[in-house]
Amino acid sequence: MVATLGGLAFGLPALNQALPAERSVDTGRPYAIGGGVDVIPPAGARIDVTETRPAQDTGTVLFRLGAVRYLIAVRRFDGSLQAAVTGLRQRITGTSGYQVTGTELSVEAAGGLVGLQGAYSGPGRGGRYAVFVADGHTIEVTVSGADLDLGRVLPQIDASTRTLRYTPEPPE
Amino acid sequence: MTAESHLRSQRTAPVQPGAGSEPGTLRLPAFWIVIMLLAAGGVRMSLLVAQYAAAYPLALLTAVVLFALLAVPFWFVVSELDFLEREPPGLLVVAFAWGGLVATSVSIPGSGALDDIIAKLGSPHLAADWGAALAGPTVEEIAKTLGVVAIVLIARNQVNSVLDGVVYGAMVGLGFQIIEDIVYAMGAVALAGRGDHVGPVVTTFLLRGFLSGVWSHTLFGALAGAGVGYLVVRGERSLRTRIGAATLALVGAWASHVLWNSPLLRDGLGNGAVALLAVLILKGLPPLLLIWLLVRAAHDREADYYAAQLTELDDPELITPAEVEALKAGSRRASARSYARVRAGWRARAAVRRLQRAQARLAVELSRNTADLSRWHHEVRRQRRILVELGHPEAVAPDGKGPWRRTASAVFSTALAVAVLWAVVSSLGGG
Repeated sequence: MVATLGGLAFGLPALNQALPAERSVDTGRPYAIGGGVDVIPPAGARIDVTETRPAQDTGTVLFRLGAVRYLIAVRRFDGSLQAAVTGLRQRITGTSGYQVTGTELSVEAAGGLVGLQGAYSGPGRGGRYAVFVADGHTIEVTVSGADLDLGRVLPQIDASTRTLRYTPEPPE
Repeated sequence: MTAESHLRSQRTAPVQPGAGSEPGTLRLPAFWIVIMLLAAGGVRMSLLVAQYAAAYPLALLTAVVLFALLAVPFWFVVSELDFLEREPPGLLVVAFAWGGLVATSVSIPGSGALDDIIAKLGSPHLAADWGAALAGPTVEEIAKTLGVVAIVLIARNQVNSVLDGVVYGAMVGLGFQIIEDIVYAMGAVALAGRGDHVGPVVTTFLLRGFLSGVWSHTLFGALAGAGVGYLVVRGERSLRTRIGAATLALVGAWASHVLWNSPLLRDGLGNGAVALLAVLILKGLPPLLLIWLLVRAAHDREADYYAAQLTELDDPELITPAEVEALKAGSRRASARSYARVRAGWRARAAVRRLQRAQARLAVELSRNTADLSRWHHEVRRQRRILVELGHPEAVAPDGKGPWRRTASAVFSTALAVAVLWAVVSSLGGG
């Protein structure tokens, strides 16, 4: 009994750790995240399959550029852009030691998506976020990593974020 | 008792009465292992709850209160399943705690890891579509079933029939369901990013408590528990047969859970309240019916066994033949209580209930070959005297009296529940 419980609680996570999580991704073509949203991955990015879950109406994708995380999440959302931004900021600052820094700026992506972006910091890490709202969905982008790593790859990530595109489903 | 049921009771010999208490429990290593596992699970879940309490105290309090209230009717129904040979409250608490503390503590890392493994060995698409359907049931059903095994290890004498396994399995499932629902509700609060708001808690309560509550872990746990009960009780069958049956029950619980979590029919019936209700029924009803039939069969067999014990008394002051028949079925017991109230008032109703409990307890003691039955005889006779004084000496309802009112009440309650469900589904965007 104890062995079985141990196998479930510790064996499965150990096996999971032993398997590689990253996969290469074609950085020259749009990657479908889910919910009708796609993005062109930044050069040199690899996908972390443990946090990538494409679905029909929602989806997440985690790109890794070395030690930097570039996460895009598409969720159903019934509200304004400002409400979506406030929600994301609260989740960021809800983590102990994390705070939003600087001012928010407008950002425009491909296909006319308009959003807001800002920055945050945590213990030994920096981060960027951007939020878009389109047709009952929110598209949240969070980037995090050590400041030096972040500075090196931010231009590619910013360029990738601007390729975010929402394609509404054709009416049935 | 009918000749047919007597034959069935003798043929299947489903009940193995055990001693009334477990004097050596504290000396069992298994008991202390279970206690340590419960303590470890308690610490693990307390740490999780402490995080929520610090960030969202109001939402956490609301979630705990709502889901605790939801647990009450489930607890009542599950504990009443085995009216004749009631399970000790202490063991029911252990089963509930196993589900809420141990099975959840194991399932959170285990299910997450298995979901990731599916994504790594398959693809993120596979994990997105089938991860929840495969990872959760695989880890959770095993972890919960071990809770029934734990009960067997620490109190073998209290698992005397397949129905006992059903009750303990359902109670493990209930503990799991309630704690999992609270965790889900708090996850929804965190994801909403609106701070300490109770809105996501209420939505989770409606979705997981009402829409999914009926065919959730309590049901799956009952099925797996029936398998463990069979494995333990049916000693006359070969070990291979018993292990096969227990495995089949576990696989059945797993398959029901997989079907419930699966993306099948997700888009097949369109949008709207009707489609959602249809999917809920198509996915949830087959396992519900299967398990209901199983529970009913286990209950009837156990009732036959204990009824035979009481029939042999041949003492109408202790129990009349009509009361034996009434005692065997929950509906007839309720009819007898109802009829007593109509005929002689609430005191008579309460006395009938006490009489039924005393008769059931006497049956269990008879089956245990207890040497001195005077205590239980005395209690039955005492309740009989009360009923005689109230002018309602026999705890039965005439044929055709009583059930219609409860049936009407059940129909009305079901219609009300469907209407509430309909309103909820519509308010959530259907229709």
